[in-house]
Amino acid sequence: MDFEMDEEMISAINKAKEFAEKYFTEELADKMDREEQFPMELLNYSNREGLMDYSNPWKILVTIEELCRKDPGLGISTTVPAFGSEVLMLYGSDMLKEKYLDPVLKGQKIMGLAVTEPGGGSDVASSKTEAKLEGDYYILNGAKMFITNGGIADYFVVLARTSPPPSPDKRHRGMSVFIVESKWEGFKANKIHGKMGVRATNTAELVFENVRVPKENLVGEEGKGFYYIMTFFNISRIYVAAQGLGVAQGILDRLMEHIKKYGPVNSQGEPIENIQFKLAEIATRIEASRGLTYKAASYLFKFNPNPVLTSMAKYYSGETAILASKVAMEIMGLKALNSELERFYRDARILEIWEGTSEIEKLIISRMMLKGGK
Amino acid sequence: MEEEYRILENSVKDFNSKYLDNIVLKIEKEGIPEQVRKAMLEQGFLGMVQLLDGNKVMDKKALSIIIEVLSTSSPSVAMEVFLTNVLFHKLADEQSINEVSQGIKRGTVAFAELMSGYDNENELHMESEKLIGTKKYVLNSDADLIIASATDGNLYIIKSGFKEIETHRKLGFRGLKFGKVEFNTKDYVKIGTKEDLVKAYEEAHPFITALAIGIAEGSLMKAIEYSKVRSAFGNLLKDFQPIAFPISMQYNELSMLKNSLYLALSNESETADILFLKMKSIELAKEITKNSIQVHGGYGYIEDYGVEKFYRDIMSLSVLLYNEEEEKKKLASKLYETEAGYI
Ligand SMILES: Cc1cc2nc3c(=O)[nH]c(=O)nc-3n(C[C@H](O)[C@H](O)[C@H](O)COP(=O)(O)OP(=O)(O)OC[C@H]3O[C@@H](n4cnc5c(N)ncnc54)[C@H](O)[C@@H]3O)c2cc1C
Repeated sequence: MDFEMDEEMISAINKAKEFAEKYFTEELADKMDREEQFPMELLNYSNREGLMDYSNPWKILVTIEELCRKDPGLGISTTVPAFGSEVLMLYGSDMLKEKYLDPVLKGQKIMGLAVTEPGGGSDVASSKTEAKLEGDYYILNGAKMFITNGGIADYFVVLARTSPPPSPDKRHRGMSVFIVESKWEGFKANKIHGKMGVRATNTAELVFENVRVPKENLVGEEGKGFYYIMTFFNISRIYVAAQGLGVAQGILDRLMEHIKKYGPVNSQGEPIENIQFKLAEIATRIEASRGLTYKAASYLFKFNPNPVLTSMAKYYSGETAILASKVAMEIMGLKALNSELERFYRDARILEIWEGTSEIEKLIISRMMLKGGK
Repeated sequence: MEEEYRILENSVKDFNSKYLDNIVLKIEKEGIPEQVRKAMLEQGFLGMVQLLDGNKVMDKKALSIIIEVLSTSSPSVAMEVFLTNVLFHKLADEQSINEVSQGIKRGTVAFAELMSGYDNENELHMESEKLIGTKKYVLNSDADLIIASATDGNLYIIKSGFKEIETHRKLGFRGLKFGKVEFNTKDYVKIGTKEDLVKAYEEAHPFITALAIGIAEGSLMKAIEYSKVRSAFGNLLKDFQPIAFPISMQYNELSMLKNSLYLALSNESETADILFLKMKSIELAKEITKNSIQVHGGYGYIEDYGVEKFYRDIMSLSVLLYNEEEEKKKLASKLYETEAGYI
């Protein structure tokens, strides 16, 4: 067992650090947050500088972590334009890969993943969006909610029902995944305004009204969509865990700086112990989250995913980031209230919600363990 | 709760549904509208005036009920009532109190220096009989009258010759202005010393508790209502233990705190008891507001659902009106009857 990072990871971290240092200015982060604007120019810089090397998932993971450490909203926006692409990578036909995956991975197009519906996100099998085969086309009708990149993506990976469930306890059957282009007739995206945090990310409600999806845009086999999406979550949750790690680490960095500068100190000139304890607790939790995330990633990246570890990493790092933001606000007080920490506090809160709430992650952990899974 | 307070509580709830509930988001974005302010004045929310019956002056319990109930709907409005009645009226000269009570002017108090993390390069000071300098983190920074301490240790009410020069970020209480104010004026009256400000803050603990309880309650009620109607996996959310158990525990904890607060106010309890209630209320409110967002799933993260604001407001309240280290030190020192908990 070896906990050392290899050269490639270290250089990816350095590259991400330099990128964030250069482009993630506080002015930009603040502006995008205030105006709820997606920082499109950052994608151009990212493409130009080859920031996202999709050939090496470890590099993607540490890049997400490092960028979120500098700013969650900008960090997530910069690293999310290929969201959902793993579904195509794993299950897409060569034609679909060439047409949709290549331009996304090259940074020429943006992708989103549309699973959640207004009626429910946790209960994926309850999806109401329907795709009915008519000749050479599936006719897509329904709505999706809270879709990241919803208003800016060119392509979406969409989960829809293609046949009724065979029985009430087999609701996850009969669902399929499609690639849908945002320029097609009948597709509409309504931007969602007023998110508490990660306001630089673009979120929208999607409406499909008789959208004609060519048959060949079905990903993989009809009826297997639910499983594809669950497999995808096993990948994406690692990256969300990395977001949590980055956000938590970013908060810890700022907290340490604050304590070194302002204390408060006791008569021996040391920070008072209450603060030392809080700092130690946050730092320990971050390190534990990192251990969990990297361990889960090491299984996944060897094509041997471990959903128990993945869910542990996702919920624990999200929870840690939220806790860190709370503790930092409390210790730094007024200085935090009028600083970027205030934004971190709002941003962090998403991490226990998206890509599976903490409750759902806990259910996965227990159920898989009790079933004897790893 | 005695009948007269029950009636008061209901009348503030009516006020909420008539004036606030439908426009809380608007208040967050645009501030407190004039017609709401007028209604607040008519109800006596901005002046220690007759409230309960013809001649009875508003008592502490009544004021805490008003603040708490307003806070369940709009913590910004509740904060305005708190600032005006609990801090401003406590410290201001009679003329200013009258002007504010009648709605002729709006008053505020710069109290942030009592909190941790206060930093200011050009603190308010006296120079050739002029008050010069700045105050940071002023809530209601667009007020007409500002009570502020200066470096000479005195407390002044400043009536003109100041302006907001910087708007601070607003995590919470977005219905109120929050900024840095610059003073250059001879138009002031000395009303006391900085000690009076400290004392006013210490006497404000019950009302800060009421603010926190209201925030917690507003947020918790939303979670309860949502969990009764939203379903997942074919069941209402309320049927899931990880939803129903924390919510019901929080509900009961909150009720206990609320009752303890009323009891403490009726019995003129010791400061330490109230301080403890304040800490517990703020801590519980943080837990409740976090969980209430969670119960709402993605919708909890969107302002339209009116639940995320409580999460922001309670943290602002904690930063602005809760000096954790100092106040915990006070509790420890009281227990040991000597200085304790300072290393
Ligand atoms: C900013 C943002 C971006 C997003 N991006 C995307 C995206 O790109 N693509 C996409 O498809 N979705 C996206 N989502 C949706 C997100 O994944 C869902 O919000 C999330 O999965 C929860 O679903 P829900 O909001 O419907 O909550 P619900 O499923 O209604 O859950 C409500 C509450 O009930 C709890 N709960 C549900 N079932 C149980 C149970 N059995 N036991 C205990 N508790 C339970 C949940 O944990 C939650 O606390 C995004 C959401 C947000 C806010």
